[in-house]
Amino acid sequence: MKLRNYHWKENVTGYLFILPQFLMFLIFIVYPIIEGIRLSLYKVQFNQESFVGFDNYVTLFHDPVFFKSIYNTVIFVVFIVLLTVAFAIFVASSVFDKNAKYVSFIRGSYYIPVMVSMVVMSMVWGFLLNPANGLISYAAREMDFSIVNLLGNKHTVLPVIIFVTFATNVGQAIILYIAAMIGVPKDLFEAAEVDGASRVRIIFQILIPLVKPTTIYITIINIIAVLKIFVVIQLLTGGGPNNASVTMMYYLYNNAFKYNQLGVASAVGVIMFLITMLLSIPQLRAMFKEK
Amino acid sequence: MLKKRVFSAAAALVLVMSMLAGCSGGSQKDAESSGGGDASSGKKDKVELSLWLTPQWKGVMDASEQNADYDSFFKYAADKFSKQYDKYDVKVNVQVIAGDQRDEMLNVNLNGGTPPDIFFESVFAMGDYVHRGALEPLDDIVDDAAKKDIDQKYWDNVTFGNNVYFYPFAHNPGTLAYNADMFKAAGLDSYIGDANAIQTWTIDDYDKILKALKEKLPKGSYPMGLYALNNQGDTWNLAYLRMFGNKFFDDQGNITVDDENGVKAAEWLKKIYSEGYTNPGAESVSSNDANAMFQNQQLAISFTNPVLFNNSKADMEAGKAPKFDIRLANIPSASGNPLSFTYVVGACVFKTGDEVKTQVAKDFVKFFSTDPELVKASKNSIPVRSSVAAEFKDQYPLFAAYDANASNLFNFTGNVPGYSELRQVLYPELQAMYIGEKTPAQAIKDYQTKGNAVIQKAKESSIIFKK
Repeated sequence: MKLRNYHWKENVTGYLFILPQFLMFLIFIVYPIIEGIRLSLYKVQFNQESFVGFDNYVTLFHDPVFFKSIYNTVIFVVFIVLLTVAFAIFVASSVFDKNAKYVSFIRGSYYIPVMVSMVVMSMVWGFLLNPANGLISYAAREMDFSIVNLLGNKHTVLPVIIFVTFATNVGQAIILYIAAMIGVPKDLFEAAEVDGASRVRIIFQILIPLVKPTTIYITIINIIAVLKIFVVIQLLTGGGPNNASVTMMYYLYNNAFKYNQLGVASAVGVIMFLITMLLSIPQLRAMFKEK
Repeated sequence: MLKKRVFSAAAALVLVMSMLAGCSGGSQKDAESSGGGDASSGKKDKVELSLWLTPQWKGVMDASEQNADYDSFFKYAADKFSKQYDKYDVKVNVQVIAGDQRDEMLNVNLNGGTPPDIFFESVFAMGDYVHRGALEPLDDIVDDAAKKDIDQKYWDNVTFGNNVYFYPFAHNPGTLAYNADMFKAAGLDSYIGDANAIQTWTIDDYDKILKALKEKLPKGSYPMGLYALNNQGDTWNLAYLRMFGNKFFDDQGNITVDDENGVKAAEWLKKIYSEGYTNPGAESVSSNDANAMFQNQQLAISFTNPVLFNNSKADMEAGKAPKFDIRLANIPSASGNPLSFTYVVGACVFKTGDEVKTQVAKDFVKFFSTDPELVKASKNSIPVRSSVAAEFKDQYPLFAAYDANASNLFNFTGNVPGYSELRQVLYPELQAMYIGEKTPAQAIKDYQTKGNAVIQKAKESSIIFKK
């Protein structure tokens, strides 16, 4: 008892300092999560709530669009994260040891799309790809090619969204990789060069292993970001054609705000929360192990 | 060491306390100010109302006024109302909401307990809120004079169960618009109607028109606008599905589009799309895109209503869009009778739980829906009041043409519950049909099944059906 008291006195200052942030965390993060879980068990109308047990989850698991949304979300996560990591490593490892001005130029060029709002980017792409009056279809018509509606074809709509999201996001990863690679001790490269190692070998056996913490970090933040992918879908395809590009977040939004099914939307939220946790835990464990 | 720790502990405590004080300070201040309001008896009490509307007409009476905007009319009406209202000192906050954001905004605010006091909008888009019990009946502000001046068919449109929930102000009949210059260029002079009439074609005529236009129009222009990206402008798509005589709803408010005539209409849509009589990519084109293409003379026939039609004409006059001879036509049908529908536009009052605000909101709705000067603004659409229509009939010859169409009106919502969600079911099926994922018959069958499930679910919680 005495020992606990001593520890308490010892740490009280620390606890008091984290208290404000901790209160915010409780109010704005923990409480909404608990409320979301509670709402997922209710049928919510604006003036009354009635307990329905797991009915909302049953509704979800009987809706093929929900499974489509999970499938699409997984496809997006896998491809966008892989593309982002691979392309960012490729660009960063090619330029990190070049002239500082050149590195800044590359960094700047890839970072501009990150600064532009996703809404603007989606609208620009929407204008380019519009099958009736967009620039790409106009050019195709002028050159007498047949008109391909990339957003209206269920086989091409996912690759287009993957590309648009990847192109907008990759700048962030490139910046992080270049910073990490510049931080790798120079003597390792010099030693490798003396031993006659090729550049490819240096990249794969020295550079990539040494920037592993950055890779883990980029992977986690991108997984979480892509799980929540919404703006591109809302502005470019509206989930179409025939729900071919619906994601979990878009499905949640439709239920919450268009169909007024707050209970069902909360159930989607709970499932997304669980998926994010499951996906992030191994990565977070790996990250903490490194430390 | 100990002193230092005590000091930093105290500093942390002060930080926390000051934050908490900061938070609570605001609410204390609020409480004081509201208490102060009560004390100031003698003067009229203040009541603040929020009024939302979706874009309707610009200006108080006319888009040509200086600084004309979508909220001009209601700002003017609020000013006029508060000057003559003796019960309270009223301030009205007017907010314009984009049509495709309406349900999102309302659902969020209803669930958060902050709905607007008044919403001015097309009735079809708001009927769902009646079924959900979110609106106040307005029977107590409708008097005999109004019942006499406004035709019964408009009252039927705003009556759910036994109560009136919207005060009819104007209506917007949906028709087609066509580019008479393009018709002439394609040698279709004989199909062009009078500039002040709404032309009626048979389906055979219409097929001939599409064919001739396709052959004669320059590259990059298409005979007819077709869209299915989202629910915007879906009423025209619903009308097309009735072209071969399908009634759409049965007496119990269930969808019955899956019959021979419904499937035939879907097959016709698919056929004109596949054969290139419409713009390409209907599955990812919105009604806004189609309207813009029509204004750019990339489409010869498109959808319209009086507001869009007048706006197009105004844009041409102002040099914002290329000028051409724009005219109106009905949606053709196999029976030869045109298909005609209209959006009645009017105000409704949301249940806010505040009796005073509800009463003032109702008084304001009654004021701008009956004031002899203000109701004249309904000339921007088509007036629901015979008195206003009669006053302007010489100035706006199309009023008579719309009036002649009134006998062919069909109620496209069937006043069914869950209509907002029902609107979300149609366009994915049309998309599936256009991209060839489903046959027209399959798409219609799936729409009916899903749509009826939506209606059934909404019926269970509808306050109108529970009665």
